[in-house]
Amino acid sequence: MLFTNKPGNRISAGISSYLPRLGLSALFLCLLSGIVLIFYYRPMGNVFQNVEEITTLVPYGWFFRQLHFASGQLFVILMLIHAVDHFHQKRYRLYPVGQWQRLIFSLCLCFYTLFTGFILKGDKEGLFAARIFMNITGGIPLVGKRLSSLFILPGEDLFFLPYLYHCFFLPILILYLIRTHIRKWFPKHGILYTGAAGLCLYALFVKPFMDIPPDAFAASVKGPWFFLGIQTLLKTFPATLAGIVLPTFFLGCVLVLPSLEKAGGKSGAEKAGLRIISRYLHWLIVLVFFMYALLTLKAAFWGP
Amino acid sequence: MFERRQFIKKGALWGGYALGAVALGFPVFSFVGFRKISEKKITFPPDAQHAVANYKDGVFLMSSKDGFSALSAKCPHLGCTVNFDAVSKKFKCPCHGSTFETSGKWISGPARQNLQELPVKKNPNGDIETVIKI
Repeated sequence: MLFTNKPGNRISAGISSYLPRLGLSALFLCLLSGIVLIFYYRPMGNVFQNVEEITTLVPYGWFFRQLHFASGQLFVILMLIHAVDHFHQKRYRLYPVGQWQRLIFSLCLCFYTLFTGFILKGDKEGLFAARIFMNITGGIPLVGKRLSSLFILPGEDLFFLPYLYHCFFLPILILYLIRTHIRKWFPKHGILYTGAAGLCLYALFVKPFMDIPPDAFAASVKGPWFFLGIQTLLKTFPATLAGIVLPTFFLGCVLVLPSLEKAGGKSGAEKAGLRIISRYLHWLIVLVFFMYALLTLKAAFWGP
Repeated sequence: MFERRQFIKKGALWGGYALGAVALGFPVFSFVGFRKISEKKITFPPDAQHAVANYKDGVFLMSSKDGFSALSAKCPHLGCTVNFDAVSKKFKCPCHGSTFETSGKWISGPARQNLQELPVKKNPNGDIETVIKI
């Protein structure tokens, strides 16, 4: 790590610099494998059977599916670590506020893309995740039903809108939002190739997880790993509170923090007050993130 | 005077934008959000009526001394399909753990509502029919 003379301003030269580049190679592989999969995947009819055919019948389907899954997961996990690293080092002070907010928003879109991918498996877990998502968004007072219908529709078309988002809207929007940010990562080709080779080896030698058929019995059904904490909260709290209000409040705090840090045109006392608030907010975000991580681990090992 | 005129001009401009957004947004929302509500008929032939709880396509046909009743298998909490535990004779949601009696009455968990009861009709050939909205 190299340090500059500005507080919290560390120029990353170690692992913080390699991880995003590795993430970029995962993103490329994810897009390429996705383009291959799109030729056989159909979001209508028996989606589960279609996915099983890709995995067991179509030549190299298992490889492309596993490569798509692993590269997508790796990209989002590395981007999360990258964002947490920047947050921990308080590097949001160095960015224009709008850029920080755009990048955090794109990270949320990455998680939504993973979620739509989880739904598109068409198995019991994906089906239930879709229904839960539809009911939580549909439960928002006044606008819920209309809002929900923009993302997912019940019945036979359940998978169609998540498919459109997963394959077209979200990748295009994410690439547009991060285009300037990832440009500086390109020159190091070595890391890009190493990451790609590692992921291909993983897809070759690690078998895909078993999918649960939609009509099979399952005593307990889990959501995607990043929603396990919310799944646990949903057992106790009302759906709108656990699924909408709390995550939105957390996200709002993360987005608003740099604005507080950079609020100009105030008197000295006001600035000092804002600095104290931003410091508390920073630690509140860290605390909530840590608690959510513990909740997720608990749900992963002992059930939600 | 000048500021007031500017203010009115800007107000009219933004009002126009808002009106345009509503005029365009409402048809878009209506189009995107439209869905045809259809009904699906589910038939239980005589050989699929023997168990206490017979499951088919999101419906449980419950048989008891008093006759047959049909329950939607959709958990009223967030829509997962509930399982029937033949040992404890209870329904349990695999997602968030709500439990229900064989009559569909809520016992515990976040659902706080009973399972939806569906109308049943026995045909002359012995089939039992029920209808579910999809």
